[in-house]
Amino acid sequence: MVQPQRQRTFFLLICLVPTLLLFVVFTVYPLFSGLYLSFFDWTGLSQHRTFVGLANYDHLLHDPIIPKTIWHDYFLVLTKVIGIMVLSLFFAVALTQLRIKEAPVYRILFFFPNLMAVVVIGILWSFIYNPDLGLINAGLRAIGLDSWARPWLGDQQWALPSLVLPSVWAGIGLFMLMLMGGILNVPKEIYQSARIDGASEWQQFWHLTIPLVWPQIRNSVLYIVITTLNGSFIIVQIMTQGGPNNATQVMGSYLYQQAFQQFHFGYGAAIGVMILILSLITVLLLQWLMRGKRFEY
Amino acid sequence: MASRAEAAGAAYPNKVRSHSIGERLVQGGLRIPLVLWAIAVLFPILWTILAGFKSNGDIYADPWGLPTTWNIQNFADAWTTGSIGHAFVNSAIVTVLGTLLTLLLAIPTSYALERVPFRGNRVLYNIYLAAMMIPQALGWIPLFMLLNTLHLLDSIWGLLLVYTATQIPFSIFILTGFMGTIPRELEEAAAVDGLSPLRTLWQVIAPLAMSGIITVAIMDAINYWNEYFMALIFLQSPEHYTLGVGINYLAETAQYTNAWGTLFAGLTIAIVPVIVLYAIFQRRITEGLTEGAVKG
Repeated sequence: MVQPQRQRTFFLLICLVPTLLLFVVFTVYPLFSGLYLSFFDWTGLSQHRTFVGLANYDHLLHDPIIPKTIWHDYFLVLTKVIGIMVLSLFFAVALTQLRIKEAPVYRILFFFPNLMAVVVIGILWSFIYNPDLGLINAGLRAIGLDSWARPWLGDQQWALPSLVLPSVWAGIGLFMLMLMGGILNVPKEIYQSARIDGASEWQQFWHLTIPLVWPQIRNSVLYIVITTLNGSFIIVQIMTQGGPNNATQVMGSYLYQQAFQQFHFGYGAAIGVMILILSLITVLLLQWLMRGKRFEY
Repeated sequence: MASRAEAAGAAYPNKVRSHSIGERLVQGGLRIPLVLWAIAVLFPILWTILAGFKSNGDIYADPWGLPTTWNIQNFADAWTTGSIGHAFVNSAIVTVLGTLLTLLLAIPTSYALERVPFRGNRVLYNIYLAAMMIPQALGWIPLFMLLNTLHLLDSIWGLLLVYTATQIPFSIFILTGFMGTIPRELEEAAAVDGLSPLRTLWQVIAPLAMSGIITVAIMDAINYWNEYFMALIFLQSPEHYTLGVGINYLAETAQYTNAWGTLFAGLTIAIVPVIVLYAIFQRRITEGLTEGAVKG
């Protein structure tokens, strides 16, 4: 485009500067400030903060709760990725490839949980898991499995797995739509010629659908991993507060409790740095593992 | 989607017919998970709405049954004594203005990053992209101090600015994807016609990127309407609460007062408007999201 240089510069400044300013003030600055704070001992309430060097990180390495929180986070990452991807891929294929008349109804319904606030979902599912009033125990008792009924969220062993179901329930709709977009974008002729060649539905699924929507699958997996590592603590904080006895404590909930409830801001910041490093490593590793496999057509 | 399968069937009628009984069985079998999931999605939502009409006695006696009397008082209690009314208005303000501000900032930046070559263009784009991976929790501690310094703590305006900043990277990511598909010739023609770059952006590019803009607006709005944790940290007085915090407050109160009906009425007030809006706009939302998935 031919334009006077000054007009172009002015246009660029208008486009870029206000956005960048807000982004730097409310996202970049807090991030670096958080990194900096992790070298201090600070209650967050007083003016006084003491530089302690790497003491917070030293404490982090020797804190017996930290390995638990990491393991719990990755447990949630793995179970959520498997649960959400298997179900949303199945639903996406069923709603696009099979002749189901009422497909739009399912498509609309399955997105409902994505419209709901995490706090609403958390409260709702706490009720579903409620030992006395809850739907799950009532259902188990109704079919004679009384011995299976338990205080799900208060059970040392079952509390963490119990958090997977609401997360999957809340996530399916969005990823189903994204995968449906990928499948609908595949030229029809490819499936037609596969049918002529005698490929079964199952073969079509493995050898056509999966490779062709691989970019959407990869993006979905990455998105689930990032949002779980950075946001799983919200459902934890609402449903169990990390309990019982840290059985559901994840990195983010521990950060929140340390910084905003126990007022160890410096230590909370160090946990934040740990989350940042682990997420970056995980995302880079996943991108490397899921690289290529793109299928040109 | 059905038409595609039918077209394929019409082209090879024998093949399809020979499979039809087996296919019908398979189809029936595959419907079962769809029906089960539909129930799993609908049942808790309907139950929440019904529980909003129940008295406490009903909730304890028959938690998963129908209300014996339809109790509207719960909604009035949630709206006034539970401050859900205040929270509803606050959330609406933050959602509408926040979404508008996000678009106002993200659209020009996306256009510049996608279409105007300048030094540092790729670097800036990658910085925004990388920001999507940052755990927000790390920034909350300094943000708390920053808002305090700016006298924006305990204010929905401060919250609105923070929300906008957090959604800017995602919005840019989606919008640049959509703008990348617009033919460059259109801008060149606009330049030849003597349109300034700003007018080209608002009169030529923005209308063409409308499905992307709507997608981003909806995703941002859902996020702002539903956000809970930052609101919990940054808002302190009940008259500034947004819906998430208001509902959490109702839930905590219910632990002591057993006002479960009021809590579920509050949850209903939070859920129903969004579902109604979604039902109205669902075609656009689905189109935007499926398209966005391909382009993004």
